[in-house]
Amino acid sequence: MSAQYRPTDTVDFIVVGAGAAGGVMAKELATAGFRVVVLEQGPWRHEKDFTHDEVNVMFRSGLTNDHRKQPNTFRKTSGDPAKPQPAVEYGRMVGGGSVHFTTNYWRFHPEDFRERSALGSIPSADLQDWPITYDELEPYYTKAEWELGISGLGGSNPFDGPRSKPYPLPPMPVKSSGVLFERAAKKLGLHPFPAPVAVISQPYRGRAACVHCGFCESFGCEMGAKSSTLAALIPGAVKSGRCEIRPNSYVRKIEVGNDGRVRGAIYFDDAGREIFQRAKAVVVSANGAETPRLLLMSKSKAFPHGLANSSGNVGKYLMFDNGALAVGLFEHPLNEYKSIVVTRVLHDFYRTDPKRGFYGGGGLDSRFDNYPAGFALSGMPKDMPQWGSEWKRAVGQYYTHMNGVLAHTSCLAVEQNSISLDDNVKDAWGLPALRVTFKNHPDDLRAIQFCAERQKEILETAGAKKIWIDPESMAETTYSRHLMGTCRMGDDPHSSVVNRWNRAHDVPNLFLVDGSSLVTCGRQQPTATIQALAYRTADHIQQAARRGEI
Amino acid sequence: MNITRREWVLAFSCWAGASRAQAQQRFTWLDAVSAAEIEAIARQIIPDDDTPGAGRAGVIWFIDGALAGYDQDKRELYTRGLAETQAKREQLFPGSASTASLTADQQVALLQAIEKTEFFQQVRLHTILGFFGHPMYGGNRDMVGWKLIGVEHAMRFEPPFGYYDGAAAK
Repeated sequence: MSAQYRPTDTVDFIVVGAGAAGGVMAKELATAGFRVVVLEQGPWRHEKDFTHDEVNVMFRSGLTNDHRKQPNTFRKTSGDPAKPQPAVEYGRMVGGGSVHFTTNYWRFHPEDFRERSALGSIPSADLQDWPITYDELEPYYTKAEWELGISGLGGSNPFDGPRSKPYPLPPMPVKSSGVLFERAAKKLGLHPFPAPVAVISQPYRGRAACVHCGFCESFGCEMGAKSSTLAALIPGAVKSGRCEIRPNSYVRKIEVGNDGRVRGAIYFDDAGREIFQRAKAVVVSANGAETPRLLLMSKSKAFPHGLANSSGNVGKYLMFDNGALAVGLFEHPLNEYKSIVVTRVLHDFYRTDPKRGFYGGGGLDSRFDNYPAGFALSGMPKDMPQWGSEWKRAVGQYYTHMNGVLAHTSCLAVEQNSISLDDNVKDAWGLPALRVTFKNHPDDLRAIQFCAERQKEILETAGAKKIWIDPESMAETTYSRHLMGTCRMGDDPHSSVVNRWNRAHDVPNLFLVDGSSLVTCGRQQPTATIQALAYRTADHIQQAARRGEI
Repeated sequence: MNITRREWVLAFSCWAGASRAQAQQRFTWLDAVSAAEIEAIARQIIPDDDTPGAGRAGVIWFIDGALAGYDQDKRELYTRGLAETQAKREQLFPGSASTASLTADQQVALLQAIEKTEFFQQVRLHTILGFFGHPMYGGNRDMVGWKLIGVEHAMRFEPPFGYYDGAAAK
């Protein structure tokens, strides 16, 4: 039975955002005995509410933030005027991005946590070591994999760090894209492995296995087979009897008392009424863009520049997802529109190799990234007409005969790349729009270029008849669904926002748990790391609370 | 604005199989003249040739629904774009009456002359969404869009999914 609290009840925790991290925090804190209110700005959808409707999901923000109501502004540098332009996208619902993500579930590598020590400083960037190591996070990666239900083959990626346990479920069946990718990669001396994915290949903890319907990326799973927090964790949080999920609750400010501690959150409910919910502590899991925005909106006497922002670093060091998509056309049908998106991955080009002359690299996966309208709109090679009979015939022939190789490439932390509040544009609630300042570090672009050559080699070796790369995917990144790095974790309160336990340096009863605390972004695919950090933080909170240290 | 589906069918005789219920459907936003002009453009973007195109798929009904609802803010672009297209048509084919009445070759020439415009790109987007989107929006009738690209509409599939995984499993 779901708990119900009154705003005047001082609950133990407010969790802002019910996504990949917030769902973990809600379940862990509630089942540990705490009273929890989760404030989620989006609706609470269920399996029956999810569809295969490409128009709504892909073209009308059906499951994501609607830029018509919540505009972004964008500029490349702080010297440019910021213009209204969609720049960040996130799952806006209970379950958040874990509902609509592609389901790649890679761990970061051990060396991702200590790149500064290994590589030294990088000009025009601010590369730092994490205050924690892979070994400290490893038990929580394992916990996340088992709690959520991840399918994969432990030990199959020779570049991965050590694992304490195998994956709970065997890999998903390989698709034609995976067969071609694996064969070509092995011919090239590379090390492809079965993709670890947040989809259950067999029944798991009361959930039915994937039926390969093909609507994974960007869609919600009608079967509950995608291991979102919505499917895997929220039911347990509610069942604890101590957790109340409040959907359609858009937090505009975290309130601070005279003692400098947070005392609750003010949010707009479904009817636009302002409500103040009291709490002993607050966990913000609103994502790497909305978390810093909320802190910057939460100005007070104690924190005139935004909550937990004595360092001035809230919002800075934003990292985006980079990487180009190479596409190949093959002789026989692959029918990639069926089943999950990715079944084979390789990490041979993941590490920085000083011989290449730039920081970073990428993880490559073999995937089909298309739905029919999106493909017809922009997925065809640009060296042919884009409308008319010839184009129509080609669209008809290509859709079932093609496959992509996508690179997930490095993104360096740069101080100027940031989330801030727009001075002019407001959202539909009258709050300052999210302003994005972002310009890739030159090494980001070199990693994209380098990987694009490798992607083409793989498709050539796989026997593709025709290969193309959308030139736009090689250009500077201006739009991202991976939102990372804006409230960095570190030991030094002057240069970071949260400490090694995701607790705000400035505010002892405030925790920031999502992509915002990432110091580096590995080679994208941050969900596993975000959720491992959430499990680790939840563990720490329970111990600290028992000692009376929150 | 005041055209019934029956009049539409009679005028362009391209929906032989339209049901009685559909025959009474009316446009919500478009008027007959604009609809005819927009459909002429849509039918060059995805022609009805050896397989069904934008006409057979009923793309114009998707566009009408979009302009009546979610894409209301695109109405002005359509109005302005149609006017500019007529001006371009008059320039290329003096004395012609409408885009719809041009020959197919003339229509293609006209669209090539405007294909970089925001208006054409918007009509292309709507045509593609209407052709490949879910039939509940009025287009993609009988799932002709999905049939064109070889997509089987089903809720579940089983491996092998394609040729290469099938061959590898043997």
